[in-house]
Amino acid sequence: MAGGSLKRCSLEGKIIVITSGKGGVGKTTATASIGAALALEGKQVAVVDMDIGLRNLDVVMGLENRIVFNVVDAVKGKCKIKQAAIKDRRIENLYLIPASQSDNKDVLNPEAMVRFCKDLRKEFDFVLLDCPAGIERGFENSVAPADEAVVICTPEVSSVRDADRVIGLLYARSITPKLIVNRIVPEMVERGDMLSHEDVVEVLSIELLGLVEMDTQVVISTNTGIPLVLQKDSNAGQAFRRIAMRLNGQKSLPIEIPQTPKSFWKRVGRKIGIG
Amino acid sequence: MSLGDNTDTQTRDKPQVRLKGVKDGFRVTLDPTLPKDYIEEELTRLFNQLQHLALNSRVILDIGDAENHPGLIEELASFLKIKYNVGNVAAPQREHEMTGDKPQKLDMSSTWNKHHTDALIIAGRVRSGQKITAKKHLIILGDVNPGSEIIAGGDILIMGNLGGTALAGQPDNEEAIILAVGFKPIQIQIGGVIAAGLPTSSAHAIEFAHVENGGIVVEDYIKANPFGRLTWPVVR
Repeated sequence: MAGGSLKRCSLEGKIIVITSGKGGVGKTTATASIGAALALEGKQVAVVDMDIGLRNLDVVMGLENRIVFNVVDAVKGKCKIKQAAIKDRRIENLYLIPASQSDNKDVLNPEAMVRFCKDLRKEFDFVLLDCPAGIERGFENSVAPADEAVVICTPEVSSVRDADRVIGLLYARSITPKLIVNRIVPEMVERGDMLSHEDVVEVLSIELLGLVEMDTQVVISTNTGIPLVLQKDSNAGQAFRRIAMRLNGQKSLPIEIPQTPKSFWKRVGRKIGIG
Repeated sequence: MSLGDNTDTQTRDKPQVRLKGVKDGFRVTLDPTLPKDYIEEELTRLFNQLQHLALNSRVILDIGDAENHPGLIEELASFLKIKYNVGNVAAPQREHEMTGDKPQKLDMSSTWNKHHTDALIIAGRVRSGQKITAKKHLIILGDVNPGSEIIAGGDILIMGNLGGTALAGQPDNEEAIILAVGFKPIQIQIGGVIAAGLPTSSAHAIEFAHVENGGIVVEDYIKANPFGRLTWPVVR
C-alpha cells in the first residue's frame, strides 16, 4: 500500500507550498505535474494534499482507490509517514499524502505542520504542499512549514488580485515566492483579449518560474489520472517539466513563451499583409 | 525699487522719465528737477504706449526727494488720472519697503528651514490587502496595486502606478491632492468627497486629483500646474 522502502536522503529536503489565493487556477494540477516531473528528474518527491475536507489531488493523480491513511492521521501520529504516503505506480520516487475528506481545516494547526514537515524533510528531496484556496486556516497550515512558495496565477484580473494578496502574505512570512502564469491562451493574448504574462509580472513583480498555456490535455489527464508530464504532445505538461527543472536548480533554463502555432506560409502571408 | 535704482537713473545718461511694470501696476521714476512740461510730455509718450493697460492701474511716482518738490506728485497724479484714467497714484513707501523687505524674506525661508516633515515616505510595492495610513502626507516610491488601500491626512504622491484605493485629506481636508505617475485608481476620496468609477484614462501623463466645486477632478499635472501660481515656495 504505502511505499515500503523510502530511500533516506543525506540532505534535508525542501518544502515548497503551491498556492494562489483564488480557487480553480490550477494549483492541484500544477502540484501533481511538478511533483511527477521532479520525480522523473530522479528526486524523492512527496506531494501533500492540504485541502482537508475537499481532497482532489488523489483523483488528479489517479490514486484515489489506494487511500488508507491520510495527512491528518500522519500529522496526529495515528500512522507513520510511510503508511500515509501512497507510491505512484507509473512514476518512480513519487508519493502522495492525501487529504482527509471527512475532517475540516481546523483539525490541523501550523505548529503541528511544522513538526510534521520536519519529519518529511528527512525522507524526501522535495515536499510539495498543495495549498487550499483562500487565506484562512488551510493557507496558514500550508505556509507555516514552507521554505519556498510557488504562486499560481491565471491571466485574469481577479486571479492577479488574489495572487497579489497572497504574495504580500508570503513576504510577511519571509518567504520569497515565485510565479507560474497558468492557462495562457496565446491567440487571445495576441488579440489583446487576455492579459499577457508581462502584464501579470508587472503587477506582481516576483520571479517568474514558468508560463503554462491552456491545454485540453489537462482535462483528459485530470479525469483519467494519467500524469500530464508523461504526455509528450501536451504543451502544458512540457511546460511543467521545465518548471520542475528550474525548481531543481537549472535556473538558466530559458522561459518559453506560449505562442500560436504558425506555419511557414502563414508567417510569410502575415509579413506581406494577407491572412 | 530701492534707492540704488534711483541714483542710477540720475548718474547714467538714460531717459530721465522711466516707466517700469511692477507686480500690481506701474512705477514711474523721474527727476523732479526737470521742467514740468518736459515731464508731462515724456509721461504722455510712455502712457500712450500702454494704451488700455493704463486704465485703472496703480501708479507709483518715484521722484526721489519729494520733500523738496511739494505738490509735484499731486499735480502729476491729476494729470495722469485725467488723461489716462489711471486708478491710483502714490509716492513710493520707502520706509515700509526698506524695513518690510528683509524680515519678510527671512520669515519665508524659515517656514521650511525650521519645518519638521510630517510626510511618510515609503518605498516598495503596496500589494492587494495591504493598508498604509499616514497622519499627514504620504509619498510612495513604487506601485500601489489594485486591492490595496492608502490613507493620508494630507496629500498622496505616488511615484509609480496607483491602482488601489486612495484616501487623501482625511477626515476633512478638501485642499489635498492625489498625484500618481500612472493614475488608474479603483476609488479615490479627498476629504469627504468620494469619486468611484473614475473613467480609465489611457493618457501617459502624470495626473492628479483635486476637489473643485465639490467634485473630484482629475487633470494632467504638468498642463494644469496647480502650484505654478504660488509666488513663493510654501510649506504644504
